Amino acid sequence: MKKLESRHWAFLGLAVVVVATMLLNFEPKLDISPEAKRMHSFIDSLPAGSIVMVSFDHEASALPEIKPLALAFLRHAFSKGHRLVGIALMAEGTAVGYRLMDQAAAEYNKRYGVDYAFLGFQPQIIAAILSMGESIKQTFPRDYSGHEYDSLPMLREIRKLSDISAVVSIADGNLATHWIEYGRARFNVTVAAFVTAVMVTSYDPYVSSGQLRAMVGGLRGAAEYEKLIGIGGAGRRAMLAQAASHLYVLALILVGNVIYFASRARKGRG
Amino acid sequence: MVEILMSRRVAQIVCAVFGVLLFLLFFSNHPTAKAVTLTVTTQYWQVIAAFALIVGAVSFMRVNFKSMSRKQDAPFRAVGLLGMVAMPILALGWGIGGSSPFLWVFENIQAPMQSTVFALLAFFVASASLRGFRARSVPAAILLLAAVVMLLSRSWFESTTSNILMVTSDWLRNYPSMAARRAILIGIGLGSLTTSLRLIVGIERTWLGGNK
Repeated sequence: MKKLESRHWAFLGLAVVVVATMLLNFEPKLDISPEAKRMHSFIDSLPAGSIVMVSFDHEASALPEIKPLALAFLRHAFSKGHRLVGIALMAEGTAVGYRLMDQAAAEYNKRYGVDYAFLGFQPQIIAAILSMGESIKQTFPRDYSGHEYDSLPMLREIRKLSDISAVVSIADGNLATHWIEYGRARFNVTVAAFVTAVMVTSYDPYVSSGQLRAMVGGLRGAAEYEKLIGIGGAGRRAMLAQAASHLYVLALILVGNVIYFASRARKGRG
Repeated sequence: MVEILMSRRVAQIVCAVFGVLLFLLFFSNHPTAKAVTLTVTTQYWQVIAAFALIVGAVSFMRVNFKSMSRKQDAPFRAVGLLGMVAMPILALGWGIGGSSPFLWVFENIQAPMQSTVFALLAFFVASASLRGFRARSVPAAILLLAAVVMLLSRSWFESTTSNILMVTSDWLRNYPSMAARRAILIGIGLGSLTTSLRLIVGIERTWLGGNK
């Protein structure tokens, strides 16, 4: 058998830390960040019945982080009585968005076509946003299930992006910037975003300038949002595992540096 | 006639005309301008995207068939090709709705596989933490310290979070990180603007196969 190297032990340790902490099924108490509070009060501030467009701008690879974020938002929006129009500007977001909207809607007894609708995927992000600014019906003549646009009652009152109260982009990359650069700049639509943790700093300048109304990021953001709406979810369940793996990584950094400086001191003496 | 149509000058003129047209349309609220925008974005742009998809699909098949004929990673390439052929068949045959085989394959095969590959990044981070992330110099030490502060601030729970830690991590995000991001964004904006202008006026010709 091939001898295990230091990195293999590091891998094994990480797997043990994540699995063991997930099995503990312990939900730690969290402080709520200002970002999560801002998003929560923004969704709260919209009058009941507002039409919010949810854009699933992500791939399936980010699902463990995106799904808790999306579900937390959908539950909050449905609980406030907002009407949601789902779309996907990345192909893989289509099936994910369709499923998540159905799941959250069922929890709040929302009716398809009246309280929510899912229009499906449209390629060419910039073109899709620009054309929705002129006509959503012409951009999506049918919904994801093949119903004619005008056959769904809630869609009859939505002609273009300016009829939408806000767009919420659920993104794992920089797609939300297109909503800011074209949706907001050209059609003055309010944009908010739920993004993966790695993208948070990319959007910080847009939040700071007010171009992005609110942003929640990562699994930690999902956990905080779940706490704000008072519903348990995958975000809170994974918090201990995430924190433990962060501390494990910090321990590895410490060990690596101790070894590095010790070997440097030995070389210096030699 | 074909020679004229295939010449690079025609392609350059089409590029310049549409570049200027889309630029002007973006700033116009005239009904005609809006109608043209709608036609360009819902029809022309999508047709071009469809052709790009065909090019991508054909290229994917050619590369994989060629490698399979050379017996390079043949089983993996066969799985890739199978997926590419099977998914459209499932979608066209049984639809893409709630209980369709297409959605079942996506949710039970494609999504878990992609999430797994993405999750492997955690193991690379673990390995890099042990073997690469070292305070070899002053800049590296500063970067390391910033990373430690950010990780700790995102790992602590209620009433255990040090106020200094939170204030420091917020400062890192709001000042050094934000300044760098803004500089990058402005750079990208200026770069995009310059490249677009070069394309429109015909200075940039690499998309036509270079300056030959």
